[in-house]
Amino acid sequence: MTDIFSDKPDARYRLTRTRKLIRTSVHRLRPRRIGLRNRILLIFVAGALLLSSVLALVTYSFTRSNLVDQRVSTETNQAITNARRTQNDLLRSPKEILIALDQGGSAHRIIYIDNTWTGSSPLFSRQMIPPALLQRVQRDQKAASMIVDSLKGQALVVGIPLPRINAMYFEYDNLREVRDALQSVRLALALAAIITTFVGIALGVFASRRAVRPLANAAQAARAIADGRLETRLEPTDDPDMQALTSAFNDMVTTLQERVERDARFTSDVSHELRSPLMTLAASVQVLESRRDDLPERSQAALDLLSSDVARFQGLVEDLLEISRFDAGAIRLVLEPLSLFEFIKQAVSVSSLPRTEIRCDDIAALVAIRGDKRRLARVIANLLDNARIHSGGKPKIVIQLADDESPPTNVWIVVEDDGDGLIEGEFIKIFERFSRGGAAGRRAGTEGAGLGLALAREHVTLHRGRIWAENRTDGIRGARFIVELPIDTTQTHDEHTHE
Amino acid sequence: MTVGIRVLAVEDDERIRASVKLALEDEGWIVDEAASGEDAIAIFAKHPADVVLIDIMLPGIDGFELCRNIRKSSDVPIVMVTARADTHDVVAGLEAGADDYLTKPFAPKELAARIRALLRRVRPSKPGHSKLLFGNLEIIPDEGKVILNNAEVELTKTEFRLLCELANDPGGVFSRELLLDKVWGYGYFGDGRLVDVHIRRLRMKVETDPANPTHVVTVRGLGYRLQS
Repeated sequence: MTDIFSDKPDARYRLTRTRKLIRTSVHRLRPRRIGLRNRILLIFVAGALLLSSVLALVTYSFTRSNLVDQRVSTETNQAITNARRTQNDLLRSPKEILIALDQGGSAHRIIYIDNTWTGSSPLFSRQMIPPALLQRVQRDQKAASMIVDSLKGQALVVGIPLPRINAMYFEYDNLREVRDALQSVRLALALAAIITTFVGIALGVFASRRAVRPLANAAQAARAIADGRLETRLEPTDDPDMQALTSAFNDMVTTLQERVERDARFTSDVSHELRSPLMTLAASVQVLESRRDDLPERSQAALDLLSSDVARFQGLVEDLLEISRFDAGAIRLVLEPLSLFEFIKQAVSVSSLPRTEIRCDDIAALVAIRGDKRRLARVIANLLDNARIHSGGKPKIVIQLADDESPPTNVWIVVEDDGDGLIEGEFIKIFERFSRGGAAGRRAGTEGAGLGLALAREHVTLHRGRIWAENRTDGIRGARFIVELPIDTTQTHDEHTHE
Repeated sequence: MTVGIRVLAVEDDERIRASVKLALEDEGWIVDEAASGEDAIAIFAKHPADVVLIDIMLPGIDGFELCRNIRKSSDVPIVMVTARADTHDVVAGLEAGADDYLTKPFAPKELAARIRALLRRVRPSKPGHSKLLFGNLEIIPDEGKVILNNAEVELTKTEFRLLCELANDPGGVFSRELLLDKVWGYGYFGDGRLVDVHIRRLRMKVETDPANPTHVVTVRGLGYRLQS
């Protein structure tokens, strides 16, 4: 026996699935959002299309009825004149019928006299006269006309009674001229409609561009602000609609700028204020250190902790100050031409890993750069510190040209270690302030505040270079940090110009 | 020997002053303290120091003014303390007459090293070179005298040492790195502006026309040279 409730969860599942399906299909059916520009354009095009079609249709129908009416009345008058003449001719001589009927032009004529139909052309026979018209002429003895459909389009048949000779006169004329005229009109109107539509598109493009230009300007300004150019403002405008946006935007940026500046000033002020007590601490610790041997063992241990942390604190304050200078845009590089190889050798010798191996090929050894040597030395020192502390690997420095271009434009300073390498997602993050990366967390590094790489990035950027991290690609585990700097091609490396 | 050096420390922060005094006294030196520029002038007049340490940010007359004031009457080496290395403060301080600078916070050991370098004696010149002649410029290293157009020129100790270094190899080219090492005891990362400003100061004194130097000339791309 099957449990009747056994399919219940299944049913519920199916229900939710169905609902979901409906929701997604509805979602799919919903038209995608159209941009403002395209919406304006669409409105203009649709408007132009509608307007031109309506105008064309109205114009056409008026022209058509006018043309036909005119033609009918002309034709009828002509037929009456013809009929009269025919009647007079026939009064003189019935033999003249055919001659009388053949009067040239595009019309065909037929005459009913003495119970006989005589026609001028095989193209117009008695059968082609509509019975209603025949009846009206024959019985009511009244002139009448009617438009009939023939194989070659519409045609006009005019019937006129000739009571004096007891006859009827019919004239048949196709409306080819009218048709031709109407065709020209149709062509002209279609052309006009197409031109109008295109003008509409052009106007739409123009109007939509104009309409979104302030938005594009605002977007550009916003991007500039995001890039850190906080002095960017939107130009004031006369347009009252746009003025609200412009002034609100500018107010926002001003507030933002003030806030950023306040934050930067705060960091700077704090660091400045910390410098004096640090100075006292450093000097006092040094006095204690010179008497270290006189201290009991426990005091020595405490002193060691104190002095190492004073040094660390000092480094942190220095880094914070430097960062706040970057934020305030107050960094002034002391640029001078440097022989890169010599510079790297010197920078490594004063770093925490003075024995680091440096590899440099003959061409790269000739490269000169323009740089602030003390700041660039910090970059190298920070990268070496990073390799030592966070990666736990023994770093190596490679100097090489960035590309095969001739003359070379950029040079790479690669710091590679054989530590654990970086994990996905760390490559960018490690350059953020106070970020320590996964490897650092695992190692619980006690040195560095996590500002080293952030500072390195700022320094390199200020030197119009780039810095990035990647894992080694030569099959050895480990990370490599690449500093790309522009090569100084304007002068020899030992020329001094920063006076 | 640097025992018995007398240092005048001008610093308005009492704690920094006290700690620097403690640290420098550990070197065996005597340290006078001044909390302001006005005090410093009075104390310096009473006890001329061998070296003066000046914090640029002082209440009352500032460090630059104090520097110029001391320079009017003395060739004593002056070490300036600035907040930052990349500001105009450094050049302004050097032009006011300072011989070297440090940025806060500095280690007293570093300060002591700077002071020792500034107090180094002029290297004894080669025998027979007790008097060096460069046209109208005459240098007598042993007496610390410089004579231009038969009139004695007042140089600071550092300016004199710089001139003597250049005079040691007449016509030879000295790179900034070399001068930084020989005169200030700095390595590769010394600040080249020290050399530039001191050369400028030197030219003001030993050149007849400082704008068109004939003795202390720049060798473009290489450094400086002393010639007749």
